[in-house]
Amino acid sequence: MTMIDSPGATAVDERLEVGNTLIAQDWEALTFKVHRSAYRENAVFNRERNEIWGHTWLYLGHETEIPEAGDFKTRTLGGRPLIFVRDRHGTVQAYLNACPHRGTILCREPEGRAKNFQCFYHAWTFKNSGELAALPDSDAYPQDSAFVESLSLRTVPRLGIHEGFVFVAFDEQVPDLLEHLGKAADVMSMTASIGPSGMTTVPGVQRYSVKGNWKLAVENAMDGYHFAPTHNTFVGYLRETGFAVNDDAQYAHDLGDGHGLAVLTGHNGRIGMIWEPRFGEREKIRTEAKRKELVARLGAERAAAVADSSKILFVFPNLLLFDLEALTIRQLEPVEPGVTDVRAWQLVERDEPDDVRALRLKTMASFVGPGGLATPDDIEAYEAVQRGVVATADLDPFGGFADTDLDWSDMSRGMADDLTGPRGRSIDEGVMRSFWRHWSRRVGELPGIGPDASRLGGVA
Amino acid sequence: MSTGAVHTSAVLPNGTVPPQEQGSDRAVVRAEVEDFLFAEAAALDEWRLDDWLTLFVPGAAMQVPTTDVTGLGPENAGYFVADDWDLVRARVKRLKSRKAHAENPHSRTNRLVSNVRLTERAGDQLRVSANFVVNRFRDGGEFTYVGRYDHLLQVQPDGLRFLLRRSVLTNESMNPGARLSFIL
Ligand code: FES
Ligand SMILES: [Fe+2]
Repeated sequence: MTMIDSPGATAVDERLEVGNTLIAQDWEALTFKVHRSAYRENAVFNRERNEIWGHTWLYLGHETEIPEAGDFKTRTLGGRPLIFVRDRHGTVQAYLNACPHRGTILCREPEGRAKNFQCFYHAWTFKNSGELAALPDSDAYPQDSAFVESLSLRTVPRLGIHEGFVFVAFDEQVPDLLEHLGKAADVMSMTASIGPSGMTTVPGVQRYSVKGNWKLAVENAMDGYHFAPTHNTFVGYLRETGFAVNDDAQYAHDLGDGHGLAVLTGHNGRIGMIWEPRFGEREKIRTEAKRKELVARLGAERAAAVADSSKILFVFPNLLLFDLEALTIRQLEPVEPGVTDVRAWQLVERDEPDDVRALRLKTMASFVGPGGLATPDDIEAYEAVQRGVVATADLDPFGGFADTDLDWSDMSRGMADDLTGPRGRSIDEGVMRSFWRHWSRRVGELPGIGPDASRLGGVA
Repeated sequence: MSTGAVHTSAVLPNGTVPPQEQGSDRAVVRAEVEDFLFAEAAALDEWRLDDWLTLFVPGAAMQVPTTDVTGLGPENAGYFVADDWDLVRARVKRLKSRKAHAENPHSRTNRLVSNVRLTERAGDQLRVSANFVVNRFRDGGEFTYVGRYDHLLQVQPDGLRFLLRRSVLTNESMNPGARLSFIL
């Protein structure tokens, strides 16, 4: 992965800057702290809704979720209900799921196939390509076509697709999608290139919510330091199935603009790429063949980059791509400061044999998701953080706690590496720091929230 | 492709053939199935997980489909739980560990099982459906899991055992705090 290892395009100083007083970064002491109000305050949440969810590309879904004309899913992003649909012309569209007449939720089904969407309230009907199709008792309205056109479904201001991953933005002015994705785009391309005839999502979406701030879910995914203690029981299961786990040569990359990537070579049984005993003997033979196919198609170097390491990619702000034993797409939707909706899809190779598909889905479910052997402990961890960070609220810098910096979370681990470039160890907290720095620049100063800057000499 | 809904053959919805042992074609009435399910609920509510494992035919499987797809098997769709026998046992081992953080301390659960029906019988295999409500309390929070069981049991001379234990949720999604860290 030459590209990722090379120094970032972003100037070092800009990459390392922080944008608000909720982050306390001290290059001399090599400490980095996040004020805990960032996880619990409504004002922070509202600012994030505006400055991040309102003005950045957001992951909406995968093209393969809506393969045929008329296929749709309803989904909420940044609190806005949307219809994600492939229209009659085969084009992927995203409409605000609200009737142009009086704002009624237009489509109340979670998914389906439809030529038209009809509002039940006054029966206005819209084609799946957005145009008004029927307006009951239309003689009371102006009869010109401009009027009718003005009644089309409202599309999102921007929609872009990279390798089947569909993103939308509620702001016309966002940079082009590829520019926003930056170095994350190539990592997505790597994942998309695993299947010789492409990748597809399968039905069966894990829909769940966690009692934790969305940023805790991001931190957790980028945090290799927690793996051994938090996932002790899962590591035990892996060992028993004949698989060794280690933390050597695992890296975390700041991909810029808040995106991050953990590259894990120490926990890397990968279906079709790196065999391990729990995958079974048949899969061993297939893995050899599959690996040859990968080399022939992508070249040895690229094949190694794709196949030899597990990867966890975070695309700011709401997409996590788990390219592990198998593949999972996870989407985050903040609901409240302390509540996050999560959706997770399994991404599989198109046209793979049934037994491989079964193995892949079973393997992923065994680890990832609220019923797996690992994710529940992650969820426990960040729900426990959410419960704990209220303990210190408002205790500093006042009273007897004035000098103790109680209400801050520490993310200093491995900070010296930040100065040498955008790559650190995955068991350090470098990617969390780069995420928080980017976050703080997007969100900006929040007067009245967090520490009282006038009382805090030299933390900012 | 299997639908997971109705199976008369000896093929589990995950495509594997269940182990054949001590099957019996003796008659089974609903009361016996109810007793079996009630005893299972008690074992789970009391966290007697080793006892619970003895209710399975070795080699059996356990499934919890996601809330949106209930008709496809785990070879076709994403699942919350798609455990083969190794994973069922790994799950129990994990849950007995103090390091299963998500269940340390354990959730308190109270299970209600009703509407038990014997829907199909083929040789020593019995398809059983029932409704369940599992009330779970932890961390000062509570959550109610509502759904139905769609089990495949093996009739043995001395009792019943799970060949496939399948819990199909009626909930639209796993609401805040509702992770499936315990046995549903
Ligand atoms: S609100 Fe939709 S037709 Fe009136
Ligand atoms: Fe984890």
